[in-house]
Order: sequence, then C-alpha cells, then structure tokens
Amino acid sequence: MDHANDNSINVAVMVKLEPDLSEGNVSYNPDGTLNRSQTKNILGPHSAIACRAAMYAKTCYNAWVAVCSMGPPTAEIALKDAMAICCADELHLYSDRIFAGADTLATAETIKHGIIRMGRRIDLVFSGHRAVDGETGQTGPQTAWKLGFNFIGNVIDYSIDVERRMVRARRKVYLPSLYTVLEDVECPLPALIALDPSYKDEYRRVSERLRYARLEKEARRRVMDYKSYLRIWSAKDLGVDVRYVGLAGSPTIVYKVEKIPKVKASRRARVVDPSNLDDLREVGNLILNIALGER
Amino acid sequence: MFVLFEHDDGNALNVSYEMLGEARRLMDGFNRKYALNEKVIAILLGHNVRELAYKAIDAGADAVILAEHEELRYPRVNLYTKVICSMVRDRMIVKQAAETTSDEYVKPRYMLFGADSIGRHISATVLAELESGLASDVNKLVIDDVMITHQYKTNGKPELYKHVLFMYRPDFSGFLWTQILCLDNKNPTIAREYSPQACSVIPGVFEPIRYDGDARKRVEEGYARIVEYKPEFSSDDLKYRIVSRQIIRDEIGLEDSRVVVAFGRGIKDDPEGNVRMIEEFASLLNAKVAISLPLSKQPFSVSSALKEKYFIPARVVGSSGKKIAPKLYIAIGISGAMHHLAGMKESDMVIAINPDPDAPIKDESDIFIQGRLEDVLPILIESIKGSERG
Repeated sequence: MDHANDNSINVAVMVKLEPDLSEGNVSYNPDGTLNRSQTKNILGPHSAIACRAAMYAKTCYNAWVAVCSMGPPTAEIALKDAMAICCADELHLYSDRIFAGADTLATAETIKHGIIRMGRRIDLVFSGHRAVDGETGQTGPQTAWKLGFNFIGNVIDYSIDVERRMVRARRKVYLPSLYTVLEDVECPLPALIALDPSYKDEYRRVSERLRYARLEKEARRRVMDYKSYLRIWSAKDLGVDVRYVGLAGSPTIVYKVEKIPKVKASRRARVVDPSNLDDLREVGNLILNIALGER
Repeated sequence: MFVLFEHDDGNALNVSYEMLGEARRLMDGFNRKYALNEKVIAILLGHNVRELAYKAIDAGADAVILAEHEELRYPRVNLYTKVICSMVRDRMIVKQAAETTSDEYVKPRYMLFGADSIGRHISATVLAELESGLASDVNKLVIDDVMITHQYKTNGKPELYKHVLFMYRPDFSGFLWTQILCLDNKNPTIAREYSPQACSVIPGVFEPIRYDGDARKRVEEGYARIVEYKPEFSSDDLKYRIVSRQIIRDEIGLEDSRVVVAFGRGIKDDPEGNVRMIEEFASLLNAKVAISLPLSKQPFSVSSALKEKYFIPARVVGSSGKKIAPKLYIAIGISGAMHHLAGMKESDMVIAINPDPDAPIKDESDIFIQGRLEDVLPILIESIKGSERG
C-alpha cells in the first residue's frame, strides 16, 4: 500500500472479556479459589487501559479506531464497554466454537487474521499488560510478531510523529533484583504497544480536552446502538487455517489443576484473643519496641 | 536446555542464576534418567559482556553462546528475537556448544526465560517465531514421561509422551496450581511437532548454585565452552532505537523498611476507613505499607488518592512482587496465599491479624491475633500512642 502522503492513523485495540474481580461482583469459593459461575464478566481492567490509549490516538491524531476481541458471543459486552472508553468506529468479535480453548499462540493467530482483515492498513495496535485471569502477557507480543510489527511493552506514555510515521514511547522496565528503568524508544509504524498498568493519558492542550469531551459524548451515543457497529467473524470469515487456531492449534494444554499444597508451618503462632485487652496491649508494646529498634 | 541469560548492560539479574541452577538440576536428572548427555546452554547477548559468560558457567551452564555487538547492549524485543532464533536454529553453532547435539537437531528441546520485563516479552516473540508452546510465571519444573489421552493431541487415544517438561504455575488467586504441558500433536489429522517446550520463570523462586569460580580453567581445559556467535541484522532491524534510559530508584522502599505493614482483602467491609486506619498505624511505627497481589487489581471502590497511593503493583509483596525480610511484618486481613508467603516468610517476626483461624498466614506467624482488624487496630493504635506519651 502506498501511503507516503497519507497522514491518517488507523488503530486496532485487542481486548478481553475477563472475570470482574472487584468486591461485590467477584465470588470466591471457601477454599479461596474463584467461583467462576458466580462471578460476572466484564472488559478486563488492562484492556480498558489499552482503550484509553486508543482514545488518546483518536483525540490527538484523529485516529480511526477498531476494537477486536476473541471470545464467546457474550464477549460483545467487553466490546461495548471498550467502545464507551475509546469511541470506537468499529467492533470486531472473533467468535467460533473452533477458537475455544486456544492458548496464547493460537489466540495470537486468530487476532492476527482479524487485524489483517480489518479492511484498512493498521498502523498501531494496543493491547493490555496482561489479563487478570490468564495473566500471561504473551498474546500482545505474539500477535505483534505474527503481524511483523515492532513490539513495545510496558508503555506508560506515547506520541506519534504522523509526518515521519514514527511512534515514540516511554517504557517502564522492571528488573527484579536490580532496579527499574525508564526507557524512551522510537520506532517506525506499524507497531504494537502493550500498556503498562501505570499508563496515564494526559490531555495537555485545551483543544485536546475539548475534542476529548466531544468524543466522549459521541461514544455514549454510539454505545446505545453498538450492535450496528459490531461485526461477528467466524473462523471461515477470517480465513484462518483451522489447524492453527483453537485447541487444535495450541501447543500447550492444561494437564492438571490442583490446590497448592499448604506449606509446612514454619512458625508456631501464639494465638492472641483480641477480647483480652491486656494481651493485645502487650502486642502493641512489642510492635513499638521493634519499630523503635529496641529489640 | 537453553537459558536466556538476562542482564542490564552487564549487571546480571538474579533470575539468570536461578534459572541456570534449576536447569543444571533438571538436566543432571534428565541425563541420569534417560542415559543421555544433553547440555545446559546459556544464551548471552550484549556488549562487552564476556565476563558474564564465565559467571554463567560458574552458575551451572555447560556452554555459553555469546553474541556481542554494540547494538545488542540493551534488549530490544524484535532485534533480540531475531538474533536468538537464528542462534538456536544454527546447528553448527549449537554443535560447537554441545558436541552431543544430533545431526537431526532443528530446535532446542527446552528453553527458560525470566518472567520479568525482559524475558516475558522476548519469550513470547521467540516462541511465536519457533512456533511452539510457552507457559508463563512458572514456579516448579519437573521432567517426566506421561501417558496422555486428549481429544485433539492424541485423537482420544492414549499415547506415551517422553521427556515432557511439567510447568507449574500458580493462578491469580494463589490457591491453584496449573500444570502446563507443551505436547506434539500425535493426532494424524493435525500432526505437528512442538519444540521447544518453554516457559518464563518467576524471579526469586529457584535456588542458584555456585561452583568455585574456576570457570576460566574449565573453559581452558575444555570442560565448558564459550561459543561466539556473529549476529546479523539489517538496517530495518535497527530502526527501533533506544533514545534514552534512566534508572529510577524504587519510590516505595519496602526492602529497606524495618517494619512493614501489609493489608489484603480483609479491609473489604470499609475499604476507605480501614486503609486510613492502617495508614495511621504504619505512620506511628515509621513503617512502609505493602499490599497483597489481589489488591493491586483495585477491587475496592476507594478515593482516588488512596487508590493511586496504595493499590499499585509496586507495593505488592509476593512472588510476583517484592521479596522482603523486615524485622517485623504485620499482615492485616491477608489470608496467606502461597505467592504472598514467598515474599515475606524471611521476615524476622510476623504478626498477623485475621478473624479466620484456618487462614494459611497463621502458619507463617509468630503471633496470630484472631480478630477483625476493625476491632484490633484501634486498640493497638491507642496502646502505641499511650506508650509513646509514657
């Protein structure tokens, strides 16, 4: 595609329907594990951050935005929630029984085909940091690699140089046992950005804030009628090779799920009954003495 | 077994040594069990990092494949992925590192990466390129043979799989352990080989080993090898540029705090009020405040001031957060999932406040105050204030 003089920016956001872990919505079994049947599903919080980044592109670079998700038919709720955040122009749901049970590689394969078939040159893809349930953080980078896009992870801020077709991003690189590094990088479009949970969208100019407010209003209008923006794709529609998606295309399987065995008690706790105020005050003194360095 | 040796411009991450230690133990067991002689190979990319190659050998590697270039000084996902994949696919190079490599070698059998900002993404892209399976955030590894009957993998028939890497990962709740296996499709209609079996490993989980620092001698005498690999890349690969880097110090400082006060889901009945109370309690003790992992997902509605200050990943104690060993650790309303205990069990003294007598945190506590934090904390605060005045 020739786009030497094309200053448009086309954005795709990949989102996921996830269990809502917020208090009042989440339900845990007595053993501490998630009670999935009693827990509501919503747009994942990290997916929501990816949508905010897309809204930034729409506000500041007039980007066209499509949101996509692979999931069951109920995942359209996630797309609707996403639309409310980023005022999406199109919603794409990749939903087919064949896709079920996919691991990250097979999921990335499906999303790659979806993004290729959006009918536009996609310049920038946003993904969340990791899903609250799967928590792998692999689908974003694997989709980037399959698309042949540059991958930029842990992004906390970004800007686009539309003329040069470059993206500039600030990354927060966590190096456990060493330190954290703030890294500024630059690369040509197309690219896939995975947002760090600490991503913040800042609208610095008044014109941006005005435009943001207008788009927010427009988003509310679109959400009322979100189904008319939604396209549901089957495996056949996407033209995927069914050997590379879903369970058939997943190298990994979940072999067993077990309760993590209780570790052997390494301390013998003295149990304090809080209704015994003297005992409790004694603990208070002990705490203070340690804090003051007297023990 | 290939291990990505992770470092920041020559400063090794501990997880690199931990992975090599575990790889050594696994492959020693593997070689005994199967009467084979397969090697632990460290993959080292960087600029002026030869010294690290010796350290990798001291930490358990039989060989290091070393790619040195100034463009490789800091990790860049796409560039590193390209170099790593062409390196591990280069049979001649792998043979130089491990003379027992078979002539049919195509791809590694096993690969390990760190579950951190370097390894998490590079593992994903490397395995996308090598078209095989990856488990993330693993904290236990076992190699064994296993009979599998699977709808897709074996077309519903029992099949024996050999040399399977069992990759254990704790789920987000911390109470379930999932075993992930990467298996070939033996089902003829979708037959496919999947190699390597790969995972990212939680930092701080595995024990490093240390030989006595005679790596140079072992290399000279041919017991260990350092193989140089000449990386190739095009100008397009270098268009992703690192413009600037700045090391930031940890703004929370949990590691240096004498007393740490941590809270968990037990705050749920009055999140705002309880966190305010915990804040006061901690400030009386000049203590830093930590949280358990579920709270970093911001499950409660609290004021944005509290949310931004406390409900953040940087305060998480546990295997996916900080590992700390303060003089005193006070766990308030924390049940004690395994990944949380992993982050605090080295503390000198542990005091827990929890109404549930069966909470796992009890087994890691020296003093267990069996009650609701709403009842306990006001009295502790009052008694501490009283003592200070006295």
